[in-house]
Amino acid sequence: MTATAGLRRAPEIAVSAHRHIDLLTRIVILMVLALLLVFILLPLFWMLKSSFQTNFEVQAIPPVWLPENPSVEPYDLAGQLIPLWRYIANSLYVSTAAAVIAAALSAMAAYVLARFRFPGATLILALILLTQLIPSVTRIFPVYFLIQDMGLLNTFSGMIFAYVGFSIPFAVLLLRGYFQTSCPPELEEAAMMDGCTYFGAFWRVILPVSLPGIAAVTVFTFLNAWNDFLWASLLLSSGEMKTIQVGIGEFATESGVSNYQNAFMAACVISTLPALILFFFVQRWLVGGLTAGAVKT
Amino acid sequence: MNEKNIFCYLMVAPALLVTALLGIYPMLASMVMSFQSYDLLAGQRDTIEWVGFENYRTILADDRFLQTISQTVIFTILAVGIVVSMGLFLAQVVNAKFRGRAVVRTLIFSPWFVPPVVASAIWMWLLQTERSPINAVLRDLGWTSGNIRFLTDPETWGPFSIPMMSVVAVRVWNGLPFVIIFLLAGLQSIPKSLYEAADMDGAGILQKFRHVTLPMLRPVLMVLLALLFMNGFGHFEMNYIMTQGGPRNLTNVLAVWSYQEGFAFFRFDNAAAASGIILAMTSVICAIYLRLQYKDDLR
Repeated sequence: MTATAGLRRAPEIAVSAHRHIDLLTRIVILMVLALLLVFILLPLFWMLKSSFQTNFEVQAIPPVWLPENPSVEPYDLAGQLIPLWRYIANSLYVSTAAAVIAAALSAMAAYVLARFRFPGATLILALILLTQLIPSVTRIFPVYFLIQDMGLLNTFSGMIFAYVGFSIPFAVLLLRGYFQTSCPPELEEAAMMDGCTYFGAFWRVILPVSLPGIAAVTVFTFLNAWNDFLWASLLLSSGEMKTIQVGIGEFATESGVSNYQNAFMAACVISTLPALILFFFVQRWLVGGLTAGAVKT
Repeated sequence: MNEKNIFCYLMVAPALLVTALLGIYPMLASMVMSFQSYDLLAGQRDTIEWVGFENYRTILADDRFLQTISQTVIFTILAVGIVVSMGLFLAQVVNAKFRGRAVVRTLIFSPWFVPPVVASAIWMWLLQTERSPINAVLRDLGWTSGNIRFLTDPETWGPFSIPMMSVVAVRVWNGLPFVIIFLLAGLQSIPKSLYEAADMDGAGILQKFRHVTLPMLRPVLMVLLALLFMNGFGHFEMNYIMTQGGPRNLTNVLAVWSYQEGFAFFRFDNAAAASGIILAMTSVICAIYLRLQYKDDLR
């Protein structure tokens, strides 16, 4: 695949870019890098260390930097603080369903938009692009009323429907680029020669070869839905249905958090885990799949 | 109609339908709404009147709203400027070859899987006035005598304030991994021969950055800046969760203002007008981008 080839070639470029760096420059670069790393890592460290401390230690002034007796008790407490696992299950369900549906619909649309000329194709692409350019907050009220009128307020279906709608434009753009760059047209030409219908060629030949790209887009839309707070706080506001982001967000904006700060930080750690696990498994071809698509778009 | 066209329309239809319902229709409806009177407390959704630019006049006459507009712009410029500068530096670090690169890479990308809400929650705790490790370090070093009130200090210096800087820092922190990945893809497409040629000419690291890296990254940078500015004007989560626009409106931005106007005060007409202003601002960015792109194409 061209994308991975690009990634492997990169280090050589870098070497030649930085071959002659004198000592002073080196020191300056290292100092800036160290400062930025502190900026990037301090919040993560602070979350982790707080989640292993007793509440007494967490609240101490001046702050205690390392837990004296690391304990997992805050993690037990986190589940009592908010229905953590229930919220995570809600989030997982909604995000997975939305990602799979959005990827399927986008793959279909992106494929024909990448491959065929048909009347209105440019207009359709322009419309899809247009919606991608608009910040989501500018459409919250009509979407809220639309979902309400459809009777889907406070249902998972309504939430999934909304996420599918919001992810499709970007997914179509990425996949269209992917089909153009990584999928030679000879493939389906050969299939059609063998008597496949248009849909048969797409289903049996194109889909299997383009799985890495489709998977990357699925992961991407999953993360978008998983990270979302705005829509979930509007469309799923009843207690049992909340997503993890809404649960955490509401807890953060409430007063009186300080009594459970350690447990709250433990809840934060737990709610980053699903995305972390996903990231760990897919990071290699995720970056490859996305950049492959991005080059042509 | 031939078989091919029918196939194409059938394949595009589901995606187009969903996009129309959740992307295009809401955008138009929101525009329409901003020209109507829509007071849910006073009346019903059926008794809607056309009021022309009345809603826009109302909100633009509000000093608090004008302050919110200028803050939205300042927030975005600061956050985008800082995140892109840091991103340019870190993308080159990630791209360079050195011992321990894998570790540094992982560390740099680590905020990527932290959702914005969780990021806000962690930073709120990190910036909690009495218990912030940053305050503790600054005091130990003797740089400050009291505690900095990161999220609550109402003092201002012109349009700037400490809570504003704190929220900007968090937005930068959360946006950084995406920017680095985006720029990394651009860096990797620069042909190595250009750097070799620059080496031959005896160019230093800064000269190579200015005369090779930046010009070659220009298309990528333009897309990135357009994206970041447009998202920045509509940014909601961090400002809403960390400060709800306070203290004294100092961290309020248009998206938060619009959300509160709608769902706290039920003035959907004013809220839609505020959305209209966000849309106008993003259109300006879009127009600038297209114009620059067009000029580049001519060259």
